Amino acid sequence: MRFSKLFRADDKKSELDEEITAHLAMAAAEKRDRGADAETAEQEARREFGNAALVKDVTRESWGWLWLERLLQDLRYAARQMRRSPGFAAAVVGTLALGIGAATAMFTVVDRVLLRPLPYPHPSQLVDVSEGEPGGNAFWYGVPYLDLAAWRSQSKSFAQIAYYTFSTGRSFLGGTTASTEISFVHVSSNFFQALAVGPQLGPGLPRAPESFAKSAAANTIVLSDTAWRTIFAADRNIVGKSVEVNDQPYTVAGVMPRGFNFPYDSHAPEAWSPLLLSQKDQVRKSDSSMYSVIARLRPGVKLASALAELNILQKRIVQNYTDPDARSFASHVQMAPYSAGLVEQSTARALYALLSAALLLWLIACVNATNLLLARAMARQRETAMRSALGASRWRVTQQLIVEGFLLSGTAALIGAGMGSALILLFHHALKSHLPFDVPVLLNLPVLAGLIVLTLVSAVLAAAWPAWIASHAPIEPGLRQGGQQSGTSRAHHRLRGGLVIAEIAMSLTLLAACGLLLRTIYALRHVPLGFRTDHIIVANLQIPTYRFTRINADSDLYEPLLERIQHMPGIDGAGLMTEVPLGHTFRMTLSLYGDAKSGHSTVQSNFKAVSPNLQSVFGFHMLAGRYFNAQDTASSDPVVVVNQAFARAYAPDQQNLSKVLGMQLIKLGKGKESKSGTIIGILDDFRQASVSQAATPEIEVNLPQITPTSGFYTVLEGIAMDLAVRTQRPLSVAIPEIRAALRQASPELANSNMTTMDQIVEDSYGSQMLAARLLEIFAGCALLLCVAGLYGLLAYVVSQRTREMGVRFALGAQREDVIWLILRHAGTLVITGVALGLVLAFVSTRFIRSYLYGVSAHDAWTLAAVALVLLASGAVAAYLPARRAAQVNPVEALRAE
Amino acid sequence: MAQREDYRNKIELLQGTLDLLILETLRWGAQHGYAISQAIRARSGEILQVETGSLYPALHRMERQKWIASEWRTTDQNQRAKFYKLTKEGRKQLALGRTKWEAMVGAIGGVLNPQMEN
Repeated sequence: MRFSKLFRADDKKSELDEEITAHLAMAAAEKRDRGADAETAEQEARREFGNAALVKDVTRESWGWLWLERLLQDLRYAARQMRRSPGFAAAVVGTLALGIGAATAMFTVVDRVLLRPLPYPHPSQLVDVSEGEPGGNAFWYGVPYLDLAAWRSQSKSFAQIAYYTFSTGRSFLGGTTASTEISFVHVSSNFFQALAVGPQLGPGLPRAPESFAKSAAANTIVLSDTAWRTIFAADRNIVGKSVEVNDQPYTVAGVMPRGFNFPYDSHAPEAWSPLLLSQKDQVRKSDSSMYSVIARLRPGVKLASALAELNILQKRIVQNYTDPDARSFASHVQMAPYSAGLVEQSTARALYALLSAALLLWLIACVNATNLLLARAMARQRETAMRSALGASRWRVTQQLIVEGFLLSGTAALIGAGMGSALILLFHHALKSHLPFDVPVLLNLPVLAGLIVLTLVSAVLAAAWPAWIASHAPIEPGLRQGGQQSGTSRAHHRLRGGLVIAEIAMSLTLLAACGLLLRTIYALRHVPLGFRTDHIIVANLQIPTYRFTRINADSDLYEPLLERIQHMPGIDGAGLMTEVPLGHTFRMTLSLYGDAKSGHSTVQSNFKAVSPNLQSVFGFHMLAGRYFNAQDTASSDPVVVVNQAFARAYAPDQQNLSKVLGMQLIKLGKGKESKSGTIIGILDDFRQASVSQAATPEIEVNLPQITPTSGFYTVLEGIAMDLAVRTQRPLSVAIPEIRAALRQASPELANSNMTTMDQIVEDSYGSQMLAARLLEIFAGCALLLCVAGLYGLLAYVVSQRTREMGVRFALGAQREDVIWLILRHAGTLVITGVALGLVLAFVSTRFIRSYLYGVSAHDAWTLAAVALVLLASGAVAAYLPARRAAQVNPVEALRAE
Repeated sequence: MAQREDYRNKIELLQGTLDLLILETLRWGAQHGYAISQAIRARSGEILQVETGSLYPALHRMERQKWIASEWRTTDQNQRAKFYKLTKEGRKQLALGRTKWEAMVGAIGGVLNPQMEN
């Protein structure tokens, strides 16, 4: 298409030539007819016609294609220029590619994590509603059925109010042997209407309103596209077939479209089935089921007004609660956009901070490229002057130089996109463990659009200024021999100096941020964790929850498993814990309500079950009392161990925490006659949720004492369990052996995820580590670029002043004087840049304050160290040009005059 | 450079009028560029000299606007030349231009010779 058009343009061009030739021929013929001789007639005709080339040019312009022709001409010329000086081209392209690559990588992450909408239509109308009591340590809970039923009938703000609850424990879909773990959610009948997404296959879940009677609809199920493809090989006849979830039969009623998932951050295959209401839902008591609520606002209704309406309704609804505790916990309503929970605020802030850092690096790269192109424009002064002298307009010269800029930045964008993808690949593990979504390595449409914008802006930033300067340079001095040493260069040097100063200042900011994060990592690494991390393998067990109702998990599964593993060669110890420290797999919180009579205040506490030998694996330190031992069995008196934070929160006497020993804490069994657990030991605090977070209260119970009759049996044993094994053997040997033991214990366990405690600790440094690693790369690149920029400028200055140096030597200057001259020039630039950079860093490091640990955002040592690094780098960059200046041979320099 | 800007100025100055003159010339039959310029010159009593730098862009532009169409023919002197002729659209433009021009002449005449109104 394009080519044929160009060919036609060529046709038309020759047609115009012929037309004008005919005009001249006819004019000449007429003059001959009037009696002029052939030669005079022709000359006369030409004179009358005027400048034929210009007429053709003006006529062609009326075709409207000339710009394209010129653009192609400019592109060809620019490509020739690049080929002719590959070193220069490589420097500019490399510089810009670094900047564009970093910015593209960060933009890809931000786009995927922060800008991508949820996979539902009009996601901003979806809100998450919960009940609770505002205040210091506000806890927000799910909503009992009666409350949300009241909202449904009385509220006018919502199009749909849907609710859901996760299936207890882990769920497995498929047969009895080859079953796959899935995310299984029970949903209200209007759930998919609220999300406004229908199935791609089948009718979907029945729409009948919820009822308390058991109906046939209860055993229908809808599968996610992933579940359908991976487990049922995309069987198009799946609808109506029977499948098994946790050994229960369900009839498939539909398959959701590809890309749909709920909850939004689920990676696993998913399934949804109708939620069954029970007798418990007909009353409002502290033990009635709490549902998660997702509601869709009516179009045009603001979140704040919907929230206000619900809070007014809730004031009346809450009067129906008989239990005063339950009433106060349901006194207020909280509402948030469903998308707000997507990414934690701190992660979002960190990502924006990193994006800013990447953009800063990109800006530095652009400044560096500008500097290079300015030097280039000086070197090509004669060429530009020549073109102007031959009649090229300023705009024409500018246009040509900008096209060159586009070619350079376009090439850089191609390389930069590759570098960006490589960067994401490099950080894939870290990104995956800290972000709710997988970040794609390949470019998508918005990122491509961003890349194009970056490319265009880079070209304009880097090329526009040099082009303007080049096109406005006076022609005459440029044409004279040796014109490059004319007076323009002084202002020019000052300009390039300013650019180098800007580069140094911006680099210092990046280096400062990087330095602060490295200090943070250092501080985090030296936080006493309160347990040993070396030589521990951790397996997060994939427990088939549904089987646990039929066995005593501890005596039938866990104890034999521990026994077997402890007797394997090279194993120093093995223990179980519902969640290892920093594990982030499962968290259970227990509220112990205090009252005036007992003198205890209300305590929110972590609640875990452990096996007695766990202490030897992790080396937990006891402050007082003892840990569990083999004598604590199902038949002996129930005992619990608490940590220091719990004791501090619970003890009536802060001076003597050990007074909590012997206190009766909670009933582990069911029924009135069961005994409360007695506190037998206080553990020294250890880090539970993250390295940077101080310990919170924790209660531990002994696994053998949690029997199927206990109210805590399923939650403590049937959902999450981490196996921790201490061994000196290499991982490659120990892990397969442990896996074999797990498979022997129960086939599902073989799929358990295994890692080491060291890796868990490393992962828990979390986004700080990720940010630090990325900033190391960004700041390193920035430092490299500004050293290159400074070196480039000084080398240029020295080459321009060769003759001046010669004169200085001839007049008796010493080598040291000349070196000093160059170093002084470099020193002025670096010191100004560093001073400016310190101010910039002081202002901007505040933005990463929430990311720092154990170091202030204005840490003087870090800033001083960073300034020193830049000064030293500046000295290195200045040394070579200074030495070259000192080696100028005065005789040769002057002879060249 | 300066020269080219002059050309542009003249095109602008003459734009409406030059189009009108060319269209009127073509009303008498298809003509090539040289003949058009000669005809305008002759009929204006040698006063209007159409610059080639205005004529050819105007011809090419009007051809794109489909006011005129072109074809290659041989002249009586056996010279191959590009002949332009009026199209239907061109005739409409000519009528329109003529009305406008006459209104303009009348209006300017009225301003320059106010006593004639009485």
